[in-house]
Formats: sequence, structure tokens, C-alpha cells
Amino acid sequence: MHGRLKIKSTAQQEEEKRKEREKKLKIYVAARDACFDKRKNGILDDEALQLTQQLLSSNPDFATLWNYRREILMHQETVKDEDEVQKLYEAELSFLESCLKANPKSYGCWHHRCWVSARLPRPNWARELSLCDLCLSVDDRNFHCWDYRRLVVKMSGVPVDQELEFTDRLIGSNFSNYSSWHYRSTLLPLLHPESPEAPSPCLKAPETSPPPSPQTQSHRVCEEQLLKEYELVQNAFFTDPNDQSAWFYYRWLLGRAERDEMISCVFISREDERVAVAFSRPVNAQTIGLLLVLDGQPQRVEWRSVHPRFKFCPVWICDLPHGTISDITNEHNLTVHWTEKPTHKDCALYTGRAESYCRDSATDQELFRSELSVEKTSVLQSELQTCNQLQEMEPLNKWCLLTIILLMRALDPLGYEKETLNHFKTLREVDSMRSAYYSDLCSKFMIENTIMKMEYAEVRVFSISDKNLTTLCHLDQLLLVTHINLSSNQLQRLPPQFAMLQCLEVLEANNNSIENLEGLYRLPKLEEVLLKNNKISTVADLKPLASCPKLKRLDLCGNPVTQITNIGSELAELLPSVTDLLL
Amino acid sequence: MGTQVKDVIIKPDAPSLLILDKHADYIAAYGSKKDDYEYTLSEFLRMSGIYWGLTVMDLMDQLPRMNRDEIIDFIKACQHECGGMSASIGHDPHLLYTLSAVQILCLYDSVDAIDVDKVVEYVKGLQQEDGSFAGDKWGEIDTRFSFCAVATLSLLGKMDKMNVDKAVEFVLSCMNFDGGFGCRPGSESHAGQIYCCTGFLSLTGQLHQVNADLLGWWLCERQLSSGGLNGRPEKLPDVCYSWWVLASLKIIGRIDWIDKAKLRRFILACQDEETGGFADRPGDMVDPFHTLFGIAGLSLLGDEQIKPVNPVLCMPEDVLQRAGVQPDILS
Ligand SMILES: [Zn+2]
Repeated sequence: MHGRLKIKSTAQQEEEKRKEREKKLKIYVAARDACFDKRKNGILDDEALQLTQQLLSSNPDFATLWNYRREILMHQETVKDEDEVQKLYEAELSFLESCLKANPKSYGCWHHRCWVSARLPRPNWARELSLCDLCLSVDDRNFHCWDYRRLVVKMSGVPVDQELEFTDRLIGSNFSNYSSWHYRSTLLPLLHPESPEAPSPCLKAPETSPPPSPQTQSHRVCEEQLLKEYELVQNAFFTDPNDQSAWFYYRWLLGRAERDEMISCVFISREDERVAVAFSRPVNAQTIGLLLVLDGQPQRVEWRSVHPRFKFCPVWICDLPHGTISDITNEHNLTVHWTEKPTHKDCALYTGRAESYCRDSATDQELFRSELSVEKTSVLQSELQTCNQLQEMEPLNKWCLLTIILLMRALDPLGYEKETLNHFKTLREVDSMRSAYYSDLCSKFMIENTIMKMEYAEVRVFSISDKNLTTLCHLDQLLLVTHINLSSNQLQRLPPQFAMLQCLEVLEANNNSIENLEGLYRLPKLEEVLLKNNKISTVADLKPLASCPKLKRLDLCGNPVTQITNIGSELAELLPSVTDLLL
Repeated sequence: MGTQVKDVIIKPDAPSLLILDKHADYIAAYGSKKDDYEYTLSEFLRMSGIYWGLTVMDLMDQLPRMNRDEIIDFIKACQHECGGMSASIGHDPHLLYTLSAVQILCLYDSVDAIDVDKVVEYVKGLQQEDGSFAGDKWGEIDTRFSFCAVATLSLLGKMDKMNVDKAVEFVLSCMNFDGGFGCRPGSESHAGQIYCCTGFLSLTGQLHQVNADLLGWWLCERQLSSGGLNGRPEKLPDVCYSWWVLASLKIIGRIDWIDKAKLRRFILACQDEETGGFADRPGDMVDPFHTLFGIAGLSLLGDEQIKPVNPVLCMPEDVLQRAGVQPDILS
């Protein structure tokens, strides 16, 4: 029950209402039972149409009655000529119109209208389209009607550009119309696709497989059109800076297509006789046809994800057959083939080397920046200026602040780092309900910046202490990192994804609020773990560490777990390899 | 000119304490007024109504107050020759009520009361070539029905009987520019639909396909100053949408992105202190539907007077443990 205000009434009013309801109940039950009886007896006549009409007018969600009507109509089709059938169905459409006027959000009515429209001998799609216009002029957010409109458009082959103009009109009369912006996001990629394929002229029915969604990479918009859209959205948010619809749409326009599916890194360790492979997105390596070839010989290996919790994971590991690469005087050539794509990556392990890797760096791919071509970044620059102007007028507008941050990231994430941090601070103050969201987003951006700095410096040390980190992400980018410093942040856990740091030797995470170490799982090279002043409280919390064979030094000073009696001997039993335990 | 933000104001005298006893009494009494006009009008969804009532009673540890034998007999009588279940006797079978019936039987640990193999055949038979599911033989397609299908089959331990890959492909084709999901490809994002689709992807082990940061942003922007959550931009807050948004956030591992204390205050303000039960908004009429989602929401927010609820199936966790169903959650 939605939107029914509770009204206080007197005992007498109650009694009157009760009597009235009793009367209504009798009439209703009689009509319902009459319908059910007729149907049971296989009667498919006009009287049944009238009975169900009477009931459905007041109770349009009584789905079984719509089913009964459809049975009757289908029967009538077999005994009447085409003109009569046409008339019958047109009568059905006008009955539906009155139902929809009373209940514009009834699933049953809208589905029945779809059904009738598809069976009408001579459909009148133009009339259906104007019905949609009318209905949307009453409520421009009615998603049932929008969906029906999309069906009508598809069935009658309305050109995409005509529908785009329709959204122009709706947005022009009221910017605050999320449904119209949404519709644009589905139309634009059809009319102005990113790839140089010919634009599809209309939405044709029927399609065999579902079309790709605007989230997937084939559904991005070409650059020229993108720039025009920026302008339209700008008009919208200058008119009403607090209307979220335009801002959501703008963030989509600023977004990036998904990366191509590829192997981004191959790492090989001689000592561990192990190969680790990173992919550009989570995969299930056991089912994608992965083939490992060592010195020309395909190897039979078993791929496992870095943590048993992941069936899909960006980093996968396998052990090579014992003895294949252990002799340090031998050189080896490794190729990992992704046969389904197909794509592959080579990696050579030279004589005298303990390990080797081959990778595409995040900076080379500009993973964390804008996708626009260089000459067009001037447009983003002017977008940023415009938003800055708006922000001067509306300094506390959260939508504007967040968009400025996104533009800065698209343009020059490192150069704007300080300003970004300041804006995040303001955001947390003006929109405190969502402060955890802003903190997590800010953490993500700081991690991206640190990855870029690390890559420019060509080191395998990742240091991000004292940056108010609340979450960890992009850990697949840290596969090769040997030292990580996360100290003095606000982390609460090292999530299972942390197990992607397959080369990690030293972990510093002092002065956080870490209570969960799930991600310190089977890290083959991990020797030193510094967790001073965290919130580890039980021996069970430390259990994952028992799977790290080389762990020697562990600092737990200032954790509640140190207060447990006999903690030293319990840990000695759990972690026999640790020789240097600080409690 | 700024847009008028749609929201409600919580009055200072609005309920702020959880009155569990009254809610249990309200639900226990609801099923006993079978001759009521309003009750009869809602017969077309009776099976779901029973699921709402029983689930909220179980979450409050009051399930024994309901008439188990009567309910199981009713469910048996609602199974049709085709295997599907109807909302009530004399009504037609539909996926919505098939799921509700199976959920109820799981609460009572008695799925064997019905012909399980036939249920599986019915669900399987509604899958279309493009992977989508029709709600019944009349062919309405909706991602809600994709959820009903996988939820039903996973509760019965029969997921392998359907074409999971195709079903996933269809649901993903309903993903939108904002990271959310709609009823069909091209349909606007809507919190109820997002709940169904993230739940579907959880049950099929495909949550990595969700753009969790983008979707999480859209979802946490559903919270209004009153603390309540709406189902789409520029709509009023509502207890049932609060559940759908909150459960979706929990499924994608982003539940901390809303202000939990404010949401709790909103949900509590939707209680009716006189009659028991929750309404969609403060001051409206209560019903079992919003009573379940109010209580389930409070459970997800960590209220320890209520049993822990599973965000994917909206059932008590202990029931799912017994049934051996453990849906994925993003970390
Ligand atoms: Zn509601």
C-alpha cells in the first residue's frame, strides 16, 4: 500500500464504513466466483468479458482475470472475421485506456496493452505513440509508459534521431527529468557510435540477442557528439545546479570505456617455480582456454586464483612442473596464450636471474586519465573553467565539487592532487551523510596517483602512508610490488584482494584500525609484517598468516590480541616460521 | 530556481523505539480477518503476502505463532499441473508466487510438501531463447522474473537445470549508464530492479560484472535528508525502497556509504504505535509488506533484537544455512 494517509475517524464513522465494506465484499465475491465458475466451465463469451471488465476496473492487478480475457479474445479470433476482431481489440484498447487513466502504474494493464497491440490485425502505432506522449505529459517519470514507448518505437521503426529530438523537447521543457537523460544514454551510442561503423538508422524489431548496454564498451559515444552533449548538460546544471539528473548524466559522459580484455602482466619466479598472470579484468582462468608454453612445450598446469573466495579474479597463479626452471644457468622463454581472445604475452627468464616479468604499465595506458584525444583536452579544460565559475557562485554545491574533481582527474591527476584533496574535504562537510563514500573515492584516487608515481620512478615500492585511506583498490596493479607502506591510515581490513600482491616481501601497516587479515593469504615471499597499533583482537584473526611460508618478523605491539595470556606460545604454535615477534 | 526536493519531515513525536511485540501482534492478527474486503481484494498476491508475514515473524523469532499446517496445506493446493504455484486457489500460476511458496516452505523446512521436480520444470520452461524469463505463459519479460527463477532454483539446489550463461547475458544487457538495472534492455534504473539484478548476479556468482563504485554512488544518493531512501532520483522516500537500496548496497559491499543512524530513525518513524506494523512513510497506513521490509532493513543495519537477514533472498540467515544456500557478497 503506497501513499495512503491514516485518517482518524469516530466510532460511528467506523461502523458506517464497516457496513459499506461488507456490502462491497458481497458484490465483489459474487462477481469473482461467477468469473471463476465460467472459466472452469470453459465459457468464453461476451458476458465473461463484461464480468472481468467490471472487476478489473477496480482491481487491475488481478492478473488471472487478464489471463481469462486473453483466453476469451483468442477464442473470439477463431470465430469472428478480421473486421470484427479488429473492433474487438480496439474496444479492448479503449477499456485499457480507462484502466490506465485510473492506474497508470499497473503492470498488468501495461502488459495487456503490449499483448493486444501485438495481436491487433491492423495496428495503429501512431496512435500508440501519441498515447505515450499524453501519458508522459501527465507524468514524465512513469517508467511503464517509457517502456511501452520503447516497444512502440521498436515495433513501428521510429528513427532514432526522432526519438532523440523527443528527449531534446522533454529536457528543454524540464531539465530535471532523469528518465529523459536515461533515454538519451541509450540513443546516443546508436546514433553516434564511438567506432567508425555506420550509424544504425532505426531501432528494428525483432532482435535475436539483447543489445549491448550503455555500460559496455561498444556503447560509447563518438568524440564530436560528446563535446556537444557537454554543452547541453552545462545548460542544464547552470539552470538548476541542484538537479541531480544532469550531473549523473555528465559523469557518464566523462567516463571511460572498459579496457580491452588482455593479459596485462606475466611474472615468473625461478625459486618458487611459479607463474603469476594478471588480466585487465576479473576472469575465471580455468574456463577461458589459457595455455602456457615453456620453451616451445605446452605445459599441463593448474591455475588457481589468489584467494579461494574468488572464482573470478584478475590475478591467477600456477606451479610449473618440478625442476623445469630451477637450474639458474638455463634461460627460458615463457608464453601465456589466451586462446579464446586470442591474445598472448611473452616473458623471458635469463640465465642467472631469479625472476622475470613482462607487463603493460598503468601509466602507458593512461588508465586513470581521460580518453579524449590530446587536441580535445582543451575542451575539458574549458569545462573545468565553467564548473569553477559555477562553484564560485555556489561554493557548497556538492554536485559541482564532485564534477570538478572528476574533470581534474581526467586532465592531470597528479598536478591537481592538492586541490582534489581540498575539494574532498569540503564535500565531506557539506554532504556528511555520504562522507564514507567520499572517503573511499578519495582513497581510490590517491592510490591511482601513487601507482603512477611509483611507475614514473620505476620502483617496486608502493608507499602511501598518512593519506586517510579508508579502503584499498587497484591491488591487481600491485602484483610486482615488493614493499608496501600503508601506515597511519584508517584501514579496517586487508581484504582477500590483497593476496594479489604475489611479490610482496615487506608489509608496513602500523597505526590503522585493521581487525581482519584475510588477504594475507599464501604470499610466497612475505617476510616482514608490521602491524603496530591496530585492532587485531584474537589469535584466529592471525590465522591467514600461517599460510605465508617465509614470514619471519611480526610486529603486533599495541593490538588487543597482545593482552591474551600465553599469547607468545599460542603464536609460536600458529606461526612457527616467525623468529622475531614483537608484542 | 532550485528544484523542490521531495522528502518528508519526521515529526519530533514520531516513534523512535522499536515496538517488536506490537508488530508481531499485528502480523498474527492480519491473517485472521479473512472476511475483510481489503484482504479479499489482495487475494491475487496472497502467496507473497504469506511470505512477507511469515518472514517478518521468523525474523522476530515468532514463527511458531503462525498456523503451519494450514499454510502448508494451502501451498499444496496452489501447485498446478504445470508445476507452477499460484497466489491463491483459483488463480493462475506465476514465477512471483512460485518463489514465495518455495521461500515459505524453506522457512518451514518442508520443500518436500510439493512436487519439487515439477517446480523445476516449470521454472526452466519459462526461460526464453535470449536468456530472459517470462513471468508466466503469457510472456511478460522482466528482470524481476530472472531473479525469481534463480532464487527459486537455488533454494531448491537445482541451478544447474537452467541456462545460467544465457540468463546472465540477458540481465547484463539491462545494465544502464548509471550502473543500475531496469526491467528490460533500455529500461530506466530502479532500486527494486537493481535489488533483483544484483541478487541475481550474486546467486549466479557474477557480481564482478557490476560496476560497484558507480552503482554504489547512485544508490547512496537515494538517501534524503529525512534519512529515508527513495527508489529513483526525485522520488519520495519509502520503507520498501529503503530495503531494496540497502540490500543492494550490502550485496555490492558498499553499505557504509549511507548514514545508517539516519536511516534507522526514518524506518522507526514509519511504525504505527497504535496498531503495530510499518507504513511506507510516517503517518501512512501500515501493511505486512512494509512491515517486513522495515524489520529486514533494521536487521541489515545491525539491530540485535532481530535475527540477521540475508540481503539477497530476504530470509533469515539461519534458514539459508539450514538450506545450504550461501549467496556471494562483494568484499
Ligand atoms: Zn513502498
